Amino acid sequence: MSSLPALQALIHEKYGIEPSALDPQASMRDKGLDSLALVEFLFAIEDRFGITMPDPDPGLDTLAQLAAVVDQVLAEKAATTGQAEKAA
Amino acid sequence: MNPVAITGLGLVAPHGDAPEAVFAALMQGVSALRPVFVDLPKPAVAATVAFDETRWFSKLQLAGVDRVSQLAVAAADLAWRDAGAGLEADPERVAVYAGCGMGGAAALETAYRSGGRVPPLTIPAFMPNAPAAHVAMRQGVKGPVLTYSVACASSAVAIAEAARAVAAGEVDLAIAGGSEALIVPGVVLAWQAMQTLASVPPEQAASAVRPFASDRSGFALGEGAAFLVLESAERARRRGARRYATLAGWGCSSDATHLTKPDAPGQARALRQALQRAGLQPRDVGYCNAHGTATRIGDVVERNALAEVWGDALGDLRVSSTKALHGHLLGAGGALEALITVLALHHRQLPPNAFCAEIDPACQLNLVRETGCAAPALQAAISNSFAFGGTNSVLLFTQP
Repeated sequence: MSSLPALQALIHEKYGIEPSALDPQASMRDKGLDSLALVEFLFAIEDRFGITMPDPDPGLDTLAQLAAVVDQVLAEKAATTGQAEKAA
Repeated sequence: MNPVAITGLGLVAPHGDAPEAVFAALMQGVSALRPVFVDLPKPAVAATVAFDETRWFSKLQLAGVDRVSQLAVAAADLAWRDAGAGLEADPERVAVYAGCGMGGAAALETAYRSGGRVPPLTIPAFMPNAPAAHVAMRQGVKGPVLTYSVACASSAVAIAEAARAVAAGEVDLAIAGGSEALIVPGVVLAWQAMQTLASVPPEQAASAVRPFASDRSGFALGEGAAFLVLESAERARRRGARRYATLAGWGCSSDATHLTKPDAPGQARALRQALQRAGLQPRDVGYCNAHGTATRIGDVVERNALAEVWGDALGDLRVSSTKALHGHLLGAGGALEALITVLALHHRQLPPNAFCAEIDPACQLNLVRETGCAAPALQAAISNSFAFGGTNSVLLFTQP
């Protein structure tokens, strides 16, 4: 399941930006989420999902791209947890 | 050198963000001091600002912006607007001179309390030049954007530096002042440990600070920001701007004696410099907004410095320390008190030296008693700011 709706909810909660006001395919920078705001947002994502995000790719600029990164980290975490459970 | 006019005033202070209302509250002797952090081991008193940051920032814009910068942006914006239309200037000829003693105290406190998970924007939030940078970004200022960290004289020094640049024609317009926001438990504890804060039971919080009084016991911390717009008197006239006052003189000296103990000869040097630059004699100055921190030593030293320079004219100089009412804003104190001094001159009204029931015989000054008074003949006034570190700053304003 994509993390996109949860990210949209988090953006709404933190910054008051409605999901409809931020096209997942549009530039986040153009909406005011500049590099500093993004660093802070990644921190909030880590808290919300209980994950560790990689350093942001400088090319990352849309919410859809960000959701894809979160999905990947969540998938890796699930796989690691699954292996640990099997090993135990 | 061009005369320097004060054409805009803005503040976000414990008494509010409307200069006239703040001045009226001071004239009435209304204290903004309240008990804070009641769970600390020792009672603490401070003057805080009721600040609605959503008036100035969207939630997104607040990322990494400490309260000290938020207050600065608001006060500078209010000053800019107050200066009125016709401000259009070459952005490269506009400058920001901002005083700040500590920087983003709340950001540091949060980092310390984060349990190791430190917010990633702590550094840009905390850095002491962040307020000036945020003011510059908000107003599109592309000339010098400078921060002065000179403890309690920070913003007075900043205003003097701005005046010098305007007078020399280096810049056309300057937004000058300062901000401070350090009413957080860790900083309050540190100040308590310094033994300079007024020690009173919580029920006496409002009257805790008693400058020049026999029963004074120190100051109380305050937070806030204040900025002035400075431009040449000629430019102000050309654009038909309201001129509140002329910044006619300023002085800056160093004690070079002790890190925290004030020194009357050092202060006297700054006072003389300000008079000399303005071309005035002591008797020409009708009002002094004193540094007046209500410490046992500081008030006597300031009185002695004034006596040394004013001599026989000391009795004609009306004096008050408004810190009794708004607390000590440290890096923003010089700017707030400069603004109050400008309004005193503008209205020819002197705010009181509150809560001084009995003047200390070692502090004999012609204090303005509660609840303030009219001064119809007032032509010139000074604002004193004397810092830890030994730097003394005096600003001298005259009628425009």
